[in-house]
Amino acid sequence: MLLEKYFDQEVTDTERSLVDGHLPDCPACREVLDSMEELRTLMKAPVEEVVRKEDFPWVWQKIEREIGSQKKRTWWQSLRSWLDMTPLLKRKVWIPAVATFMVLLFITSQVIFKRTPSYPDGSVVEYVESQSDNVMVYQLEDPKVTVIWLFESPEEEATTT
Amino acid sequence: MRRSVFLLTAFFVFSFFSTSTALAQIQVRMRVIQASNAGQNVDPSLKDVHHELGSLFSFTSYRLLREESLRLSPNQPATITAHPGRFLEVNLVELKRDVAKLRVRVIREGKDILDTQVRLSPGRTVLIGGPRHGEGVVIYALSARF
Repeated sequence: MLLEKYFDQEVTDTERSLVDGHLPDCPACREVLDSMEELRTLMKAPVEEVVRKEDFPWVWQKIEREIGSQKKRTWWQSLRSWLDMTPLLKRKVWIPAVATFMVLLFITSQVIFKRTPSYPDGSVVEYVESQSDNVMVYQLEDPKVTVIWLFESPEEEATTT
Repeated sequence: MRRSVFLLTAFFVFSFFSTSTALAQIQVRMRVIQASNAGQNVDPSLKDVHHELGSLFSFTSYRLLREESLRLSPNQPATITAHPGRFLEVNLVELKRDVAKLRVRVIREGKDILDTQVRLSPGRTVLIGGPRHGEGVVIYALSARF
């Protein structure tokens, strides 16, 4: 066990010095170590051969081409692919849903953003009428007070007092 | 499918407009004030408008005869007895954001002695005065709260 770790260079310094001290006096351990080395050589050669034969630049070019083709997609294609992801959306349910939303948006915006006519501050009184008496309108801006004064005729005053 | 979309749209439209109608309401504060030169008394409840009244009129005494808080909906006039023999009718004609259009009528013996339409905005007071009452006159003070 320790010999395998030694071969794989996974031993500690203490273990290494222990094995180094033991090997000159133990032919059996040396033999095991030699057989391990042989096995490694046998396995390494075919792997290196396969790697040498493989065309890595070609693989990389393929990956780059794939990334490039994804980048060139338009926003509409992306949207379509996103919409096609959901089975519910595949059934084109979103068309009437969007139409309904647009209609509601149009109606509400007409009401919410309806412009209020701005009345000039000087026209608080739209009209004032009196069938029997004179009327005076007086307006102040500070304080914001509008006065409508009714001048009752003397005979009317007499009836009320 | 079309039917459900139509029903959904109708529901949203109906609920939106019903909410708008419910919100189209204002509160109008109406005070009936007797102004005269008999004495130097100013009703404590008129302190907030005493300065305005003093800068506009030369009366020395102001007395609060009546105070009403009217909740008005469009075209649903409210009538109150202003003082003996006279009625005041206030009608919300139109409400647009921060401007309320009010029609105010002062009625005496079934006859309009004053008919006016005013645009009332928050912070503005409309004073309708002149009718005789006792030793002085009556002033109606109207202000709106939205």
